[in-house]
Amino acid sequence: MSKPTVGIFGLTGCAGDQLVILNCEDRLMDIVALLDVRDFLMASSENDTACQLDIALVEGAVTTRRDAARLLAIRQRSKALVALGTCAVWGGVAALDRGQDRARLLDEVYGEGHPDYDSIPAQALHEVVPVDLNITGCPIEKEEFVAAIAALLNGDVPLAVEYAVCTECRMRENNCLLTERGELCCGPLTVAGCGARCPELRIACVGCRGPVDDANSASLVKVFEARGFAPQDIAARLRTFAPQGVTS
Amino acid sequence: MKILKLPKEKLDLFASVVQQFGELHAPVEQDGRYVFKRLTRWSDARLEYDRTILPPKKYFLPPKETLFRYRPGEGFVPHTDGLDQRIILFGVHACDVYAINILDRVFAGKYQDPYFQARRKNIAIIGIDCTPDKQCFCRSMRADFVDHGFDLFFYDTGNYYQALVGTALGDDMVLATGNLFEPVDAADIEAYKQRSIDKRRAFQLDVEIRDLPEIFEMEYQSEMWEELGARCLSCGSCSMVCPTCYCYDVNDDVELGSRAGKRTRSWDSCLFASHALVGSGENFRGTREARIKFRFYHKQRGFVAEYGRPSCVGCGRCTSACPVHIDVVEVIDRLRRVQDVASR
Repeated sequence: MSKPTVGIFGLTGCAGDQLVILNCEDRLMDIVALLDVRDFLMASSENDTACQLDIALVEGAVTTRRDAARLLAIRQRSKALVALGTCAVWGGVAALDRGQDRARLLDEVYGEGHPDYDSIPAQALHEVVPVDLNITGCPIEKEEFVAAIAALLNGDVPLAVEYAVCTECRMRENNCLLTERGELCCGPLTVAGCGARCPELRIACVGCRGPVDDANSASLVKVFEARGFAPQDIAARLRTFAPQGVTS
Repeated sequence: MKILKLPKEKLDLFASVVQQFGELHAPVEQDGRYVFKRLTRWSDARLEYDRTILPPKKYFLPPKETLFRYRPGEGFVPHTDGLDQRIILFGVHACDVYAINILDRVFAGKYQDPYFQARRKNIAIIGIDCTPDKQCFCRSMRADFVDHGFDLFFYDTGNYYQALVGTALGDDMVLATGNLFEPVDAADIEAYKQRSIDKRRAFQLDVEIRDLPEIFEMEYQSEMWEELGARCLSCGSCSMVCPTCYCYDVNDDVELGSRAGKRTRSWDSCLFASHALVGSGENFRGTREARIKFRFYHKQRGFVAEYGRPSCVGCGRCTSACPVHIDVVEVIDRLRRVQDVASR
């Protein structure tokens, strides 16, 4: 069987998810032995930018018309498109300001009379093109990435985590930052897979992986309010990484 | 059952001698709460703890474990690492021993689980008496005293620990200490009885479980389930900390570049949206309301039908772990009141 052709791309984001792939150091030789990586600007200056791809891995959000055009072009040359990281899956921090006046925001950042920048409200990939698979995380987890590639190579759909950070946090026997310390912890709404890395270090979950399926934000907001948090602080925390994923 | 007593000042000595039977684990303080952990020194043990974050379940059914490794053409090899490790759990409360006995019915009854059973065989249990706090209702659940499932059980009677010897291994532990343990006399038995009375009086929570299956049967359509469903976060905390929640999920972790891999199992929860999702896409408990209701029905109703008692032991962990204050005692109380009005 010939190796699947792969392209790895970044739209608007920090490139952290592509970096995680390069950081899979002990697995990199295995990965390139199994995948025919044709187009990966972060790793190579010689790329085939037009070839057909079996798998496109795309990180970042769509925040410019240029991003949207690139994404469409990637979609057209790919059999399967994978959204890589929270920005690609949910919009991420770039989507924080969705719903606000774009022109006013541009003025605020660049000053009045700035040139006409190519800037549109940030969108997740699935809002622009059909997405076949999501690998969330800020950044993605190495293990989840490698497991996803292993599953895809076998023609399987990688297993999606369908429970909240609290589950992993309890498994690790951390003292609950929400119930015991009254902190603004988003663990109950956030999809697991990170091993509750932040609560393990006594840092409240900020929800960087995006919401879990069936997240009950309305109920958690009531708990936060009862604990005396201001509505704007709660809203700011919940909107940071996946503004359209929480409705309350 | 053999009853002996150990002078309290000899407990340290007992602990050092008993280590010849296995690695000593006990509750230790961690960030203001307690967890069962391997002791690096005996002085770290906190035998007057309230409750550990996770119950001793984690030793018998770990949060995640490998069951076997498989390779096409070669078959599979059971993963047995660590199963024969001898451990002594020192300081297990009665409710938690009771819970392990309930797990025995699930994993060593009709369906035999070799992984659970191997660990059960190799992990010794030394129970310790406790004082109920405001979240304990083990007495209501008839789990405040255990007559089996431990090797030794210590009761604090003032100057002594009165020790029930539960197994031959427990007896070996006693014998290994030479003459540390002493026979009990009538005064010791009186002291024990007084301790039991004092403990019963210390309970602040009481819930009636009589007729519970019948009441649950009648309250299947209660509006309370909808309300609980709206509150529940499906975070799974209650299931993780429950000493008798035994649901697990089985997955294959495939190696990169082959069809070989390992089969693992990890704790699951009936509160997860995917718990009753099947291959066709149908979800038998698609709503949070249906899931939280199921949790209560399984603990308090279904388990009674299957095993003759609720699987809840009244340890209070789920109530203290729930971010939205879903309280099992409150739920049962509310159901009972409804029933009382209806049956008047």
